[in-house]
Amino acid sequence: MKVFIDPPNSLVLFDLVERFGHEPLSTMAAIQERVDNIEVDMPPMNVTLDDVVRGLKYAGVEVPSGVRGRLAMWGPLIEEADAAIVMDDCPYSFGCVGCERSNLMVKYLLKRRGIPVLHVSYPEDDAQAVSFVAQTKEFLEGLR
Amino acid sequence: MSEARETRLFMISPRSMLTPDQLVRMVHAFGEGALVKETCYGCLVEGPRDLVLRIRDKVREDYRNEVFTKIRAYPCSDPRRCRAQHGTRPGFAQLEEEWALLAKVQHGLDQVDKGAKYVAPAEKKRISVNDFKKICEVE
Repeated sequence: MKVFIDPPNSLVLFDLVERFGHEPLSTMAAIQERVDNIEVDMPPMNVTLDDVVRGLKYAGVEVPSGVRGRLAMWGPLIEEADAAIVMDDCPYSFGCVGCERSNLMVKYLLKRRGIPVLHVSYPEDDAQAVSFVAQTKEFLEGLR
Repeated sequence: MSEARETRLFMISPRSMLTPDQLVRMVHAFGEGALVKETCYGCLVEGPRDLVLRIRDKVREDYRNEVFTKIRAYPCSDPRRCRAQHGTRPGFAQLEEEWALLAKVQHGLDQVDKGAKYVAPAEKKRISVNDFKKICEVE
């Protein structure tokens, strides 16, 4: 099954989803498609003009362009997803830094899709990490 | 996901005794012919998707809970990202954050392999008014 991860660039979540037998949907894969198709040629831009127009489906024109750009990339992934894992209470610099509104929109879009979503807390110590891994494993094995 | 090219990032957990050099030598020793680049956190492996996945599985056989992987959007030595060519590294801050987390996740995976189960934390309940009054009176 295809599992959307939030933060969408997280190594830990990507690895765990793959480890327990599912396909993670991440920002990296979305950007890779654009890189391979030679659409993106100038960093730090990771989206094309067409993407920003496509982003209008997920966020209105009055929403800042940064949110729209991010959602242009993540929106199609959320539509494609069969399930999702969301990490809550992350430190400030963990995940896509800079726009809490995008993160809230992602959570809203996931809720609107009605797919199974697991909310896990960022593990602060070893005991919480055991709980985090066990909970993720249980969820992912239950999807089969 | 692209089938033609996959660049995968292998990151070693700080709790592991493995070094990036050992990891790169091991990947080279598989003799699969993928492009391997040593980095400070582990290595980058690039090649056709099925080849890279085969290397990932072989690495996991030996270092199941010590090496973590994810795909990377840009190819190795891409001038837009490669530091040698003054490229930007916007993803590095995230990698640094995750590196710190990997030690805990490694411990979590080890314990889950040993049979640890998820136990939901006890639900917090509101204190009753009478109990609260008692606490206030003691004060």
